[in-house]
Amino acid sequence: MTTQRSLFALACAGVIVMALLPLGLDPRGYEIRILCITLLFASLGQAWNIVGGLANQISLGHAAYFGIGAYTSTILLKLFALSPWLGGMIGMALAVAFALLLSLPTARLKGHYYALATLAAGEAMRVIANSWADVTGGPVGISVPYLPDGSLWMMQFPTVLPNYYLFLAALVVVCLIFWKIKTGALGYRLRAIKENEQAAEVIGVDTYRAKLIAACVSAAITAFLGTLYAQFQFFFDPDTIFGVATISVKMALIAILGGVGRLSGPLVGAAFIIPMEEIANSYFGSSAAGLSQFAYGAILVLVILLNPHGLTALFGQISARFTRKGATRDRSIA
Amino acid sequence: MTVPLLEVSHLTRRFGGLVAVNDVSFRVDAGEIVGLIGPNGAGKTTLFNLLTGVYPPSSGDIRLNGEASGGLKSHRIARRGMTKTFQNVALFMESSVLDNVVTGGLLHNSLPDARDKARRILDRVGLSAIADVRAGDLSFPERARVEVARALCTEPKLLLLDEVMAALTPAEMEEVIDLVRSLRDEGTTFIVVEHHMKAVMKLCERLLVLNFGELIADGTPEEIGRNERVIEAYLGANFAKTHAAQPVEAT
Amino acid sequence: MQNLLTLLQTTIDGILIGGVYAVISIGLSLVFGVMHIVNFAHAEFLMIGMFIAWFAWFYAGIDPMLGAFIALAVTFLIGMVMQRTLIKPILHAPQVSQIFLTVGLLFALENGALLLFGADYRSVSTSYQTEALTLLSTEAGRLFVPLDKLYAFLMALLSGGALWYFLSRTRWGRAMRATAQDPMAARLMGIDTDRMYMIAFGLGVGTTAFGGAVILPYITASPTVGSQFVVLMFTAVVLGGLGSVAGAVVGGIMVGLIQSFSALFLPIQLMNLTLFVIFILVLAFRPEGLVARRRA
Repeated sequence: MTTQRSLFALACAGVIVMALLPLGLDPRGYEIRILCITLLFASLGQAWNIVGGLANQISLGHAAYFGIGAYTSTILLKLFALSPWLGGMIGMALAVAFALLLSLPTARLKGHYYALATLAAGEAMRVIANSWADVTGGPVGISVPYLPDGSLWMMQFPTVLPNYYLFLAALVVVCLIFWKIKTGALGYRLRAIKENEQAAEVIGVDTYRAKLIAACVSAAITAFLGTLYAQFQFFFDPDTIFGVATISVKMALIAILGGVGRLSGPLVGAAFIIPMEEIANSYFGSSAAGLSQFAYGAILVLVILLNPHGLTALFGQISARFTRKGATRDRSIA
Repeated sequence: MTVPLLEVSHLTRRFGGLVAVNDVSFRVDAGEIVGLIGPNGAGKTTLFNLLTGVYPPSSGDIRLNGEASGGLKSHRIARRGMTKTFQNVALFMESSVLDNVVTGGLLHNSLPDARDKARRILDRVGLSAIADVRAGDLSFPERARVEVARALCTEPKLLLLDEVMAALTPAEMEEVIDLVRSLRDEGTTFIVVEHHMKAVMKLCERLLVLNFGELIADGTPEEIGRNERVIEAYLGANFAKTHAAQPVEAT
Repeated sequence: MQNLLTLLQTTIDGILIGGVYAVISIGLSLVFGVMHIVNFAHAEFLMIGMFIAWFAWFYAGIDPMLGAFIALAVTFLIGMVMQRTLIKPILHAPQVSQIFLTVGLLFALENGALLLFGADYRSVSTSYQTEALTLLSTEAGRLFVPLDKLYAFLMALLSGGALWYFLSRTRWGRAMRATAQDPMAARLMGIDTDRMYMIAFGLGVGTTAFGGAVILPYITASPTVGSQFVVLMFTAVVLGGLGSVAGAVVGGIMVGLIQSFSALFLPIQLMNLTLFVIFILVLAFRPEGLVARRRA
C-alpha cells in the first residue's frame, strides 16, 4: 500500500503547488493564460483518455462535445442570461445525447473505421455550426456578453485568476473520475473489452453498455470544459471549437504521447505540448501562416517514426521514471 | 417430467453454403456431465458458439431452464447461467490471473465481492500461487485452468468446456477430471468437448457424437462404443477393439 | 418537359463529376486494400496534383489535361518515396500509430503547401472552359455538357480504365492483388511485397493527383482544396467498400449523383452534412460497402 500512499501524497503536493503557482504571476498576464490552457488541455486529454485509453477507441471527433458545451452555454447566456453553470449542465446533457446517438452506428466499429466515423461526426458538427448562423452566429463566431464586474454565478471575472482555479479544480475532478473508473468495476470491464472483446462478452460483460458509459462520461466532461473555455476566452468560432487539428487531434495526442491509459499521461502530455506550442507560436509568430501547424504535423510524423510500436510508451517511460510507477510494479491495475 | 437444464431443438447454422450445424436436437439435465465428441471440423466449437450466443442460429431453438435463449447476446446468456471456455485460450493477457477471474465475478457481484470470490475459486482450482502472475506469462495448461476459473466465477449453471485437457500429462488430466466431478457435485452441469478418448470415457456419463454438423449418436459411452455409425465416422478400429462388442475391420 | 430536362441535366452533371470523384477515390481504396491503412492525408495529394498541373500551365503553357500526366508521374514518385520512408515503418505498428502518422502527414502537407505557395487561389484559363456541348435544344430548355467537365470525365475514364487494365490483366497487377489478399502467401510465391506496397501507394496517390489535375479548369487550386474533397472521397470509398477499387468507381458516381441532386434542394453546407450522415450510416451498417455481395 505504500506505493499508493506515496502516490497520493505526491498528487496532493502537486495540487498544492499548482494552487500556489499563479499567485506569483500577473493575473492579467500572458503566463497565467498559458497555464490555464495547459490545465484545460490536460483535462481534455484526461477526458479523451477515458475513451481512448481505457476503452481503446481512437476518437478523432471529441471536438463535437467541446463545441456543443461551449455553444450551448453561450447561446443560453445570450438569449436568457442563463448562468453558465446551468447552461454548462444543459450542454453536458446535449453532449451525452449526441454520444448516445453516435454510439448506435459506431457500436461495432473499431480502429481506423471508428476513427473515420468519429472524425465525420465532429466535422458534421462544425458544418452545422457554420451554416446555422441564426443560432450560432455562423463562421464569424460568437462572443460571450461581457459583464464589467464579473460574478461567480455568471462565471465571469475581471482577471483570469479565478478561471485558473476553475480549470485546476476541473482537472482534479476529471482525474478523480478517471481514477474511479480505471480502478473500479467499469475499468475491469473496459480492460477486458480492450484485450478480447468476444471473450469478455461470453463471460458476461455487456460490452456495448460499458463502452457507452465511458463515451457518455467522456462526452459530458468534455462539454463542461467547453463551457469553461467559453467563459475564459470570451470568443470562439466553429473552425476553432470544432476543429480537428485544434481540438480533436490535440486532445488525443496529449493523452497518447503522455501515456495513454495512465492517469499521469495527459498531465505529462499537456505539460510538454502546450508550452512548446506557445513557444513555437510566439517564436515564429505571425511570420508565416501555418508554420506552427506544419511543425506540428512534421514533429508528429517524426515522433511516430522514432518509436512506431511504442507511441504510447514514449513519454510514458519518462513519466514512469518520475512517478516511480513502473510497469512491473502495478500489475493488477495495469 | 422435469424441465431440462438445456434443450436444443433442430438447431441449424449456415455459413454461406456451408451447413456447420445441421438439425441438431438433444437435452441436458441438471447435474450431468455430457461429452461432445466428433472428428475435427464436425461442428463442436460452432455448437458451443451457438449455445453461448457468439452466433445466432440460422434456425432452431435453444432453451436454457425453459427460457428461449437463441439469438440473445452472449452476456445475457452468461447472465442466465451458461458460459464457455475457449479452445484457443482467450485470456486477458496483460492482466493478472486474479484480475482475469475477477472480471468473470463482476457478472453477479460487486468488485470487492468479486475479488473475494475469485480468490476462493483460485484456491479451489489450485492456482493461488500464481494469482498475481501476468496471464501472458503462463504455460498453456495453466492458462486453460485460469479460463475454467474465470468461467466458474460467473456462477454458471451450465459450463461448456472446450478442450481444456489439451497438452496435459495423464496426472494433470486426472486432476481435472476430479475437479470437474467435484464441481458437478456442487451443482454445476457440464458439456465437455475433448479429444482424449480415455478422459472422455472416464469423465462423461453420456456422449453426444457430431459428424459433419449432424448429431449421429446420443448415449452412454458403452452404447456409443458399439454404435456402427460412430465407429465408421470417427472412432476407428483401435477404439472398437477396446470397447466394441463385436470386432470391426480397420477403416 | 422542363422537369424531365432538369432531371436529365442533373443526372448528366452528377455522372460527369461522379466520374472524377471515382478516379480521385480509387487511389484511397487501393491503398487501403493493399496495405490496410486508411490514408487520412490522401486528399492532400489531390492538391499536389493540382499544383503541379497549375505550374505546368503557368510556366510552360501546358494544358491541364496533359499536365495531369506530369502530375501523375511526379506524384507517383513522391508516393513511392513516402511509402518507403513513412509508411513502411508503421505497417505493422498499432493502429494508433498508423492513424496519427497519416494525420500528421495531413497537417504537414496542407500547411507546407500554405507556407510554400501562400493562401492565394490559383486558376487556369483554357479555351474550353466556357464552352459546352449541346445535346438537346428545345423550347423548354437545353441539355448541355460543359466541355471542361466532359474532358475531365473522359480523362477520368481513361485513367480508371488504365488502372483496371493494370490490376486485372498485367502480371504486376495480379501480384498486387495477391499481396492485398495474403502478403505471406504472396511472398512465398516470390512476389516482392515491399515493392508492391511502394507501387500501390505511388499509384494510389498518383491517380488522385491525376484527378486533381484534370479538374483544374473548373476548380481553383489552393493549399486547402483537399479539405473540400475529403468528405467526398471518403464517402465514395466507403459506399463502394474500403479496399474495393471497382467499388470506389461506383461510390464515386453515386456521390456525384447525390451531390448533383441535393444541390437542387439544399445549400452547399447541408449537402456536405448529408454526405457525412450517409458516410457514418454506411460505415455502421454496411462496412463492406453497398457494392460487395453480402456474406451470410
